[in-house]
Amino acid sequence: MTRRFDLKKIMMDNLVLVVIFLLVIITAIVEPNFMSEANMTNLMRQFGPLSLVSLGMTFVIIGGFIDLSVAGIISLVAVVTVALIDPLGQVNALLIGVALGAGLGLINSILLLTCGAMTQAEALFITFGMSSVYSALALIITDGATLHMTWLTTPQTIFETIGSGTVGVLSVSFIIFLVCLAILYVFQGETHAGRSISYTGGNKVAAILSGIPVKRSMVIIYTISGFMAAVGSVVLFSRVTTAAPIIGRGFETNAILSVVVGGTSLKGGKGSVLRTVLGVLLVTLLSNCMNLLGVPPYMQVVLRGAVLVLAIWLDNRKEL
Amino acid sequence: MNNQLGIMGKRVWRLLSKQKAVLAIIAMLIVMLFFDTNFYTSYNILAMLQDASVNVIIAFGVTLAVICAGCDLSVGSVMCLSGIITVQLINAGVNMWLAMLAGVASGAVVGFINGFFVVKQRTEAFIITLGMGMLMKGVCQHLTDAHPISSKNLDFMKLANGKLFGTIPNLAIVMLAVGILVYCLLRYTSFGRNCYAIGGDYDVAKYSGISVVRTKWLAFVLCGTITAFAGVLLSSKLNTGSSIYGDETALMVNCGVVVGGTSFAGGIGGIPQSFVGIMVLQLLTNCMNMLGVTPYLQVVCQGIVIVTIIWLDCFGRKRKREAV
Repeated sequence: MTRRFDLKKIMMDNLVLVVIFLLVIITAIVEPNFMSEANMTNLMRQFGPLSLVSLGMTFVIIGGFIDLSVAGIISLVAVVTVALIDPLGQVNALLIGVALGAGLGLINSILLLTCGAMTQAEALFITFGMSSVYSALALIITDGATLHMTWLTTPQTIFETIGSGTVGVLSVSFIIFLVCLAILYVFQGETHAGRSISYTGGNKVAAILSGIPVKRSMVIIYTISGFMAAVGSVVLFSRVTTAAPIIGRGFETNAILSVVVGGTSLKGGKGSVLRTVLGVLLVTLLSNCMNLLGVPPYMQVVLRGAVLVLAIWLDNRKEL
Repeated sequence: MNNQLGIMGKRVWRLLSKQKAVLAIIAMLIVMLFFDTNFYTSYNILAMLQDASVNVIIAFGVTLAVICAGCDLSVGSVMCLSGIITVQLINAGVNMWLAMLAGVASGAVVGFINGFFVVKQRTEAFIITLGMGMLMKGVCQHLTDAHPISSKNLDFMKLANGKLFGTIPNLAIVMLAVGILVYCLLRYTSFGRNCYAIGGDYDVAKYSGISVVRTKWLAFVLCGTITAFAGVLLSSKLNTGSSIYGDETALMVNCGVVVGGTSFAGGIGGIPQSFVGIMVLQLLTNCMNMLGVTPYLQVVCQGIVIVTIIWLDCFGRKRKREAV
C-alpha cells in the first residue's frame, strides 16, 4: 500500500466534496464576483426549493422506491395555496397547502400499497401517472393562467418573509431548510421508523420476514416526500411571487439528480440526508458557476446531464 | 350445462383479465358507439394510425430493451436528435438518403452508450437512460440553438406524408413493416429467444452459455436505432427538426409498453402487446378529442387510465404471489 493509493481512495470516497472544492476554487479565481455577498445570498435562495424537495426524495430512494409525482405536487400546492390566500387568509392557506402536499403523498402510498407494488419500476409508472394528474389539476384550477401574488388584496407577510426575509446573514428559506434537515436527520438516525426505512430499502422480503413494518415505511416515505415537496413549493413561489401551474416541471429529475449525485444508492437501503445536501450543493453550485463563467444555457443542460451520467456510473463502479 | 357455461365464462374472463389493454380498447369502442361522432369513419381510423405510428415504432424498439429487463427513457431525446441531424445534413446539401442514414446512426451510437452503461457497468437502466436523455436534450438544444429548423428538400417531406393508393398513409405501412421485422427477430432468431431468457433470469441465462452481455447490448443498440428511425420519420412528417419534441415521449412510450402487458421484470411481452398498449393511449386521446373534452381534462383522464391499468397489473401479480 503506497500513500498515493490511499490519497486516491480518499478522493474517490469523497468525490462530491472534491468536485465542489475544485469548482469553488476555479470559479473564485476566474470570476472574483463569485465570493461577493450578493452572490452568496443569491446561492442561498437558489438552494432553498431544490434542497427541500430533495430531502424528501432521499427517503423515497433509501426506501428503494422513486417518486416522480413531486413535480405535480409542487405545481398543485403552489396554485392552491395562492388561490386560497384571498378567501381564507394567509395562515389558513399555508396550512392547507402543506397539508395538501402530505395528503397527495399519502394518496400515492395508498395506491402503491393496495396494488402491492414492490419494485422501483412499478412505483415509477404509478407516480408518473399521478404526476400528470396533479399537474393537469393545477392547470384546470387556474385555467392555464399564472397567479400573481401582487394581485392579491389581503396581507401576505408570511410569504414575503419566506421569500425575501433574512435573519442576520442567513435567508429565511435557508433557515427553513436547516430546521427540516435537523428534524429529518434525527428522524432517520434516531427513531425506529426512520431506521425501518433503510431496512425496507435494503431487502424488502427480508424486512417483511423479520417483522419490519414495511407498509408503514411506505406510507411514511411518500407522505414525507409529498410534505417536503409542498414546503419546497411554498418557498419557491414566495421567492418568485407568482404561482404558474407548471412551476414544478423538471423538479423531479433535478431532485433525483441531487440525491444520486450526493451518493445515496438507487438500489435502496443506503444513503443519508447529509449526502443529499452535498448533492444539492453541487447541482446548485454547478449552475451558479456556469452562469458566472458565461457558459451558454444549452451547453449547461449538456453538462448537467453529463454530471448525472458520470455520478451514477462512478457510484455504481464503487460497488463492483 | 350450467356448469359448462360457468367454466367457459371463467375462461373468457381469465383471458380478458390477462389482456387488460384489449379490454380497455373494447370498452372505448363500445362507448363511442353511443355518440354521434365521426369516430367510425375510415378517414379517422387511418389518421389515428398515422398519428400513432411514430410512438408505436419507438415502442417496438423499447420493447426489445424491456424484454431484456431493461428500459430506455432516453428515447424522447434520441428521437429529437436523429431528426435534427437529418434535417441539418439535408440543408447542408447532403444526399437525402445519406442524411437519413446518419440520423439513424446517431441513435445507434446513443443506444451503444446506453448499452455500455447498463450491460457492461450494470447500472440501473432507467436512471442512466434518464440521464442520457437529459444530456442528449442539451445536445439537441445546442445544435439548433433551441430553434426549430425546417428542411428545404420537399422530397423529404413527401416521404412520411405520402399515401399509398391515395388512402393508406405511408407511415402506417412503415410501422407495420418495422413491427413484422421486430416480431420475427424476437420469435425466429436465437437473438430474440436469448432476449427472453435474459429477461427471465439473467444469471441462469449466463450459466446456460448465452452471451448475455452481447445480446443485451445489442438489444439497446437496436432500441436506439429503431427510435432514431422513428425520429427521422417524425421530422419528415413535420418537415422540421426541433429540440422541443419528446419531453413526454419517453415516459409515455414506456408506460404504453407496460400498459400493453410487457412486464418490467423482463422476459414477458412482445410486439403485439406493445402495439395494443400504445393504441390504448392513442385511442383515448382520439375519443376525447371527438367528445370535445378540454385538453387539461384529457391529461387527467390519461393519467388515471395509466395508473389504473398499471395498478391492476400489479394487483394481479400480488394475488399470484399470495396464492403461491
